Amino acid sequence: MIPNIYKGEYRYLVVIPLILILISLYFIPGLQLGVDFRGGTLITLQLTSSLDGDALSEDLLSNGFDAKVQVFETGVGSKAEVEVSQTGQMAEADELKAQFNELIGEVERLEAYTYTNASYTVEYGEKKEELYGIANRMFDLAGLNTRAELEPSLNELRKDFIDSYLVVYNAQVGRIMEVVDRHATYSAYSSETVSPALSTHFLEKAFWVVAASAVLSVIFVFFFFRTLVPSLAVLLGAFSDIVIALGAMSFFGLPLTLPSFAALLMLIGFSLDTDILLTMRIIKRKGDPRENAFDSMKTGMTMSITAIVAFSVLLILSNITHIATYYEIASVALAGLVGDLFATWGLNAVLVLWYKEKTSGGK
Amino acid sequence: MLNHRAVIGALVLLFAAGIFFYPVYSGLLLIGGLIAFGALSYVWKERETKLMCLAAIVLISIFNVGIHGMKFGIDFSGGTRIPVILESPAPDSVMDEMVDTIKKRASAFGLTEVKVKAIGDTQINVEVPSGDPQLIQSVEEVLSHQGVLTGVVDGKAALKGEYVLSGTIQKLPAQYLQGADWGVSFSVTREGAEHFAETVKGKANFPVYMFLDRPTDAIVLITEDEAAANLEAGMPSDAADALEEALKLEGSDIPVHIYEDTYIETLVPATNSTEAILSQELADEVGAQLEARGFVLSIAEEGEIQPMLLFNENTGEVAVEEWKAVGLLSSPVLSPSITTGIPSYGYTISGTAPGTGQEKSINAYEAARSIESILKGGALPIQISVGSRTTIPAPLGEEFLNLSIIGLVLALVAISVLVSVRYRKFNILLPIVLISFSEMVILLSILGSFTIDLAGMAGIIAAIGVGVDAQIVITDELLKKVGSAAERLDNAFAIITTNVTVAVVAMLPLLFSGLVEVIGFAISTILGSLLGLLISRPAYAAIVEDIAKD
Repeated sequence: MIPNIYKGEYRYLVVIPLILILISLYFIPGLQLGVDFRGGTLITLQLTSSLDGDALSEDLLSNGFDAKVQVFETGVGSKAEVEVSQTGQMAEADELKAQFNELIGEVERLEAYTYTNASYTVEYGEKKEELYGIANRMFDLAGLNTRAELEPSLNELRKDFIDSYLVVYNAQVGRIMEVVDRHATYSAYSSETVSPALSTHFLEKAFWVVAASAVLSVIFVFFFFRTLVPSLAVLLGAFSDIVIALGAMSFFGLPLTLPSFAALLMLIGFSLDTDILLTMRIIKRKGDPRENAFDSMKTGMTMSITAIVAFSVLLILSNITHIATYYEIASVALAGLVGDLFATWGLNAVLVLWYKEKTSGGK
Repeated sequence: MLNHRAVIGALVLLFAAGIFFYPVYSGLLLIGGLIAFGALSYVWKERETKLMCLAAIVLISIFNVGIHGMKFGIDFSGGTRIPVILESPAPDSVMDEMVDTIKKRASAFGLTEVKVKAIGDTQINVEVPSGDPQLIQSVEEVLSHQGVLTGVVDGKAALKGEYVLSGTIQKLPAQYLQGADWGVSFSVTREGAEHFAETVKGKANFPVYMFLDRPTDAIVLITEDEAAANLEAGMPSDAADALEEALKLEGSDIPVHIYEDTYIETLVPATNSTEAILSQELADEVGAQLEARGFVLSIAEEGEIQPMLLFNENTGEVAVEEWKAVGLLSSPVLSPSITTGIPSYGYTISGTAPGTGQEKSINAYEAARSIESILKGGALPIQISVGSRTTIPAPLGEEFLNLSIIGLVLALVAISVLVSVRYRKFNILLPIVLISFSEMVILLSILGSFTIDLAGMAGIIAAIGVGVDAQIVITDELLKKVGSAAERLDNAFAIITTNVTVAVVAMLPLLFSGLVEVIGFAISTILGSLLGLLISRPAYAAIVEDIAKD
């Protein structure tokens, strides 16, 4: 039988989670953002022969693509993932598109004014010049031979401009695949490009979700406990858990993507689960608080371990299929669940026990 | 007791019938069932009832899967994802409209399983459950299709899409409406203005028939009933002339034939690709005959073949206002001031809207919106471009699905082993396994009525791992030798209720975030929590309550 770790000087237990949190805080600044949040292109190849990942990534780099190549053996054959960071081109194309959209309406209006009022001619000329500059820059990016000055009308210009944006957007993949073709043979490939605008949008949404989730959790926890210290302890437990998970992600090189973000949110809920179990049993129950703490630890550990088992299965599954969504959810959830063991039973339990013994006059 | 059974039985039948007759709502019905049975198992304290509630929801879940099967995302079913990129960011309301329109366009291929999802405010993903390159290409073409605008005045093309400066199209603010309910102003190029002025000279009060994608080589065959469908007084004598008039255009007239006055044998196609536009009803009757004569049939929907005929107060004649089968979408009347022959560069289309109050302003808004999109040459309020597609081969998706299901079962087995090691009691293990299995079935059935994607599947596996937690809490509380069994259960449920509430609350913002890639995960974890709280925990407690007495 495991001895009750809360007998004796339990306060030393906080050392372990505190160390973990400090280590995590040290690593968190190195957390990588995945394609979803950073923008870029993710290409997945179903390989039919072996691939030298390092050679491919070097070749890509010499062609101006900052790429991370990973090769996986999966249950359904070999698979390679090429993750290419946002190129300056794509970012510029997005920027140009925004500028163009803003300007073209104005130029069209000015063109209409000049028909009836000659005093607009100068302004119209200037703005049109500016618009042509933007369009020509986009045509250059797309590698097209055409010039904005040659377009018969603004409508045609608009059409060709959006086409050339698409050329840049698709060329990203096309040019990467050209390099890939020199290194790999594959039966199928899929690609996903997240434009800078879209990744910004994802980041904003994610921030909003985290904020809402945090505020709601805080409100509900305070509502349930109605006392300051236990509520703070519960929230501190959840917060440390997320910190440890983020630290582990950074340490193991797991990027933050939409699926891993979802897993983090689930961790908030899960971590609060064990924290609440513990806090309710210590604060609201009769009997020796230390016994109660230890009892809850037994229950809580079983809970955590079943969850760990489920996510381990998902992790194994992700290794067989190499489905990125599975991998990202499972690995982050596992890191957080392990972190939760320490954060809950080392930090949260100690705080709540200390509070209980102090308020009930000690033992 | 008997009463309770009867009620549960009746509810099961009711929900099963609902699921059977309304497949579209089966997922929502199941969630409704979950809440209904959950409420019952809270209100009725008998242990048997709680078990019956669980059995009931499992039963209708299995029934649902048996009847309608499960829907899977293209990652599992195989298929093609086509990203559609918006020219500029779309506000929420416009985005909804775009998604609807794209859905309509894509489903024109009879692909009912096409999924259209907004990704952020600048992208829309279209998912087609097919890898057929030809089909995908035609979907892509339809998506990026820009309509061709033609404004016809007295049989001459007065306004063409290429003349309209799309950046100048805007709704008129109320103070410029001069008595109309809505108005849209726009400018045209110099060439366009001159052409228009010349074409409409002296045609005051003539309608401008605004077509999008007017057929160039076609005839229309229509019955009297269809022609007069939107008139109260039946077919007026001059209606046929009005129809003919609306479809006049130098060089490519579209002849209109009233079925009752026409001998099919006398119809001759102009070329070997001449279309015959007609309703399904008519096609059933004379379609074969027309095809034999060399026509290509173009079937129009009932609402589209019926023209909107209006009485023109200025000319005293009946005129066609709208006729979707031929792409005629609006017919504003020329104001005398622009028919003098002097070019004008700014134009306004305005009109009245039916209804009163709120209804009137909505109608006015819709009318203006529709004119705007016609002028822009397409139904989409924001121009789009189609990005490079991703195809997931069906065998690979199937492999993923099989492995995922195996993973799901493995998770269940692993958890069972763990629980049996911890408790070493068969009368605890069996209920836990049974309940976890039921939860899996219910979750798969509910999510499968919508769509199970990768994130959703991961969420179901997670829900099983986390779902068993509450049963552990109950078991541990019951095994304690303090207080009565009822007290212990109350203790356990106090913890569980708090847990579930907080877990759901933490996930809720993700559900409403619009981050479609991971919403499936949020849905399955939230449903898993609710399901546990409402049905399976009470049922589990009912089964294992006895262990407290051991």
